[in-house]
Amino acid sequence: MFARLLFESFRRQRRRKAFALLAIALGMSIITAMIAVANDTGDKMNQELRTYSANLVLTPVDDSLDVNLGGVNLKPASQGAYIRESDLPKMKDTFWSHNILGYAPFLSDQRSFTLLRDETNAGEIKADLIGTYFAQEIKIPGETFVTGVRSVNKFWQVQGDWPVDDSSNALAGTGLAAKAGLRIGDKLQVAGRTLTITGILATGGPEDEAIVAPLHLVQQVLGRPDQVRRAVVSALTKPEDDLARRDPKGMSPAVFDRWYCSPYATSISFVIHQALPNVNVEQIRQVEQNQGKVLARISGLLLLLTIAALLASALAVSAVMAATIIERRQEVGLMKSLGAGNGAVASLFLTEAGVLAVVGGLVGFAVGSLLAHRIGQSIFGSPITVHPVVLALVVFAALAVAFAGSTGAVRKAMRFDPALVLRGDA
Amino acid sequence: MNRPRLFLRLMLKAAWVRKDRAITALLSIAVVATMATVALTVYSDLEGKFSREFRRFGANVIVTARSGSLKRDDLTLIRKIIGSKGGVVPVGYAIGKSRDGSSVVVGGTDLSAFHEMNSWWKLDGGLFDGDALLGTRAAAALSPRAEPFEISYGGQNTLIKPRAIFHSGSDDDSRIYISLPQFSYLTDLQPSTAQLRITGRPAEIEQQVATLSAALPNAEVKPVRQITSAQTAVLDKTRAIVLAASAVVVVLIVVCMVATLTGSVLERRKDFAVMKALGASNRAVNLLFAGEAALTSLLGAIIGFIVGSGIALWIGQANFGAVIRPRLELLVPVILGSIILALVASSAPLRILRRIQPAGILRGE
Repeated sequence: MFARLLFESFRRQRRRKAFALLAIALGMSIITAMIAVANDTGDKMNQELRTYSANLVLTPVDDSLDVNLGGVNLKPASQGAYIRESDLPKMKDTFWSHNILGYAPFLSDQRSFTLLRDETNAGEIKADLIGTYFAQEIKIPGETFVTGVRSVNKFWQVQGDWPVDDSSNALAGTGLAAKAGLRIGDKLQVAGRTLTITGILATGGPEDEAIVAPLHLVQQVLGRPDQVRRAVVSALTKPEDDLARRDPKGMSPAVFDRWYCSPYATSISFVIHQALPNVNVEQIRQVEQNQGKVLARISGLLLLLTIAALLASALAVSAVMAATIIERRQEVGLMKSLGAGNGAVASLFLTEAGVLAVVGGLVGFAVGSLLAHRIGQSIFGSPITVHPVVLALVVFAALAVAFAGSTGAVRKAMRFDPALVLRGDA
Repeated sequence: MNRPRLFLRLMLKAAWVRKDRAITALLSIAVVATMATVALTVYSDLEGKFSREFRRFGANVIVTARSGSLKRDDLTLIRKIIGSKGGVVPVGYAIGKSRDGSSVVVGGTDLSAFHEMNSWWKLDGGLFDGDALLGTRAAAALSPRAEPFEISYGGQNTLIKPRAIFHSGSDDDSRIYISLPQFSYLTDLQPSTAQLRITGRPAEIEQQVATLSAALPNAEVKPVRQITSAQTAVLDKTRAIVLAASAVVVVLIVVCMVATLTGSVLERRKDFAVMKALGASNRAVNLLFAGEAALTSLLGAIIGFIVGSGIALWIGQANFGAVIRPRLELLVPVILGSIILALVASSAPLRILRRIQPAGILRGE
């Protein structure tokens, strides 16, 4: 009997039910989309920022001081310590290997170059020769990954073409190019090697006054095989909080584990230092600290917008549910005059609301996931995926909102005298 | 009773007799108006709020004299161009020698202003008695226990007393910074570089860099690209994501509201039929329904604007620690938008009802 009443109610009041279903589905797709977007945006934005510039720098432990002034490195190559290039891939073999998105090693020294134009000597140029990876393939156990300045320092802008690693092509810094009249296609001779300029590089840093060439070529020119002076690392980190600022030496084992297993810049630095003991790891603090703060703000903003949207859709859905029941006062009156108890009437209406909520929640989840997917695709170029937990949350929210909207209205409808309602007076 | 008064009375009575229905309609419109106000207010203030955040990023432009030092006039000119909100800290650099003959880069600057500009530095240990700021690598090599040490330049010597040891992760880690008077005493040089913090939107910063380059022919003006490019990326993506999310929320809520209002008009087909049966013209009925919709949405929009501005204010306070002010210029668009939506929502069902015979509706068909 109950099942039949329920079934008939859906069959005969298709329009009314469709409205309620539409409202619930729309409300729930808002909730799904907002939760997914708010949840994923921080990560996506972090990933995006990490391609713009690296956030950690590695230097040899027992190094003498760098003497960099006005973009010129005055420390002779014979002084100070080096990092072994072949040690660097060990970073990708640590606990935080997935958070280490890429790295770029650097080796530099001042050299005199002979400018060759049309096969004739067109002058001498004195400048830093910087060697680095552009997009170098690195073999690590199980995979090869490609890394270099093109993927970790996107703020480097090149006019012309990027050189290929292991070629003898190079970039000329924009300042140097302007001063020395270098053009794309010029050839520079150094230590018996001939470099071809394929692009002009602008970084706003010391590279603007230098020649930047593939690392392995520079190692040969400088006679420093397998050695690099410095490496920058792009690591996905979590904004610093109180735990991150604590000194790991003074932590209890439990707190230490929690710290070690959180991707803070400090714990990732710690892990890298463990893998490469003769290397110092520093945060590039102007990048790391500031971006951490801004990312926290963005996540916070989206969280608050999500809460506002959640409340708005909950209100809208409850209002619709209440309205559909209030319109059915005559039905309540009829049921009651035929002898139905308050409990029977309420359970029928609430079951109806429950069915609507579950169906609306499922539809809303599907639509919301699609919307989140689209938003991610269009803004970050990679889809935002919705966590399955959100489905449970959304169905639960739909039920809660539908019941909240219905209960008050059902109670109100039952309070009227059936006779008055049926006559149309109430 | 004249026509306008009858009209008004009909509208008020309709709302009064069916309070629930009127409140539902009002609520739906208020919710839409609230969300629209929140989204628009937050969105339009986003750039301002993030520029405030970026201000703490420190120097985003470096000016370097091509030869010699920056002239006093140059610094005045820079200050004039970047305005009072920006910051300028001139720095002089020289290569000094430590006791053991190794080279170290010594910077001379207004130390407190320089530290403030580089506020993201992490200080090692506490503060000491002296006044010099030591990069962590420089400190490790020259003054491991923060003891005073001597630096020479040319024939001059000076005793440097550390105040703090900092980590920056940049070239500064290998440098020491001393006060400008001590620096001039040691080297007889004046600042050749200035760290600039230009505030504003990425486009404004770019424009000021161009203005500076043109105004200072003897200096190089370079943006710190790690900072400026990330700034642009963050701002663009955040605006896009807030806009997209708000658009989704507002559009879906609008659809939800239109459905509710359409439904509530359809529920009133008996009212409609009675009016028609009593001889009301189509125009009069349309006017009545439209008037009701307009009045409800006007009220709902005003409530929504107030609540929405309040929520935006709270979001600013909670997330950015600064108020996002209500934008009065949004009031008119929000009200107009709500009224148009309400009219659209109620006109569609009326068109359907007009096609049906009043007698049929009254019979319950």
